[in-house]
Amino acid sequence: MLFDVTQQSLELGLQGSSLRQQALAQNMANINTPGYQRVDVDFHSQLRQALERTPSGQIAQPNFAPAHPGSDTAVRVDGNTVDIDQESSMMAENALEYQGYTSLLGLRRRMLLDTMKLNG
Amino acid sequence: MSMFSGITISASGLTAERARTDVIAQNLANANTPGYQRQVTVLASRPLAFSDALGQAGGGVTVAGVTGDGAPQRLVYDPGNPQANAQGYVSMPNVNPVTEMTDLITSSRSYEANATALNTSKTMFQRTWDVLR
Repeated sequence: MLFDVTQQSLELGLQGSSLRQQALAQNMANINTPGYQRVDVDFHSQLRQALERTPSGQIAQPNFAPAHPGSDTAVRVDGNTVDIDQESSMMAENALEYQGYTSLLGLRRRMLLDTMKLNG
Repeated sequence: MSMFSGITISASGLTAERARTDVIAQNLANANTPGYQRQVTVLASRPLAFSDALGQAGGGVTVAGVTGDGAPQRLVYDPGNPQANAQGYVSMPNVNPVTEMTDLITSSRSYEANATALNTSKTMFQRTWDVLR
């Protein structure tokens, strides 16, 4: 259980959402920069692909890279593609996800500690 | 870079918006100063690139410069003014208080957005320490 696929996925999920938080913070910092193209990290599909390549055991480290996915909403006259409402809701969603991963990791850690105490 | 780069990026946004507010305040303060040229803040983004999964280079926003906006000055006929030219015209700045106030509101709201983003990053990192409890 200690370093199984679930544990590794949770760690990669933490890594991915932490990088996504940086990308979303970058978008918010550049809300007034003319011509700025928004960045995002699609770590979900990269993690899923990594899991699909993994028969068992170690997951290959996926490459969480920032990309320019464009915006669903209209581009501003100055060429900036950041929509503040979209970014804040994505950031809230991402923070909740991160919180979920940390909760699960904490829970697994406590389970492990409890198991160790049984023998002690 | 460190795992706290989310905080660094938002901090750069806070700095840039504060600089913008300073320039707007300068424009408003000089709205009636003859010969003053309206100043604009030029913002530029620093590219966000994760060198590896945990490392990161750059990111955020910088103030690339503060320049005059290049618009012509407003000539006001005021022969009694000591700063008037031979024809009796004083060149007043091209500062429009309404434009400045709307810019000020945008800047202030963007500052708040960056502060919120910084808070979110901070809360996320605090949650990481909670795993060890």
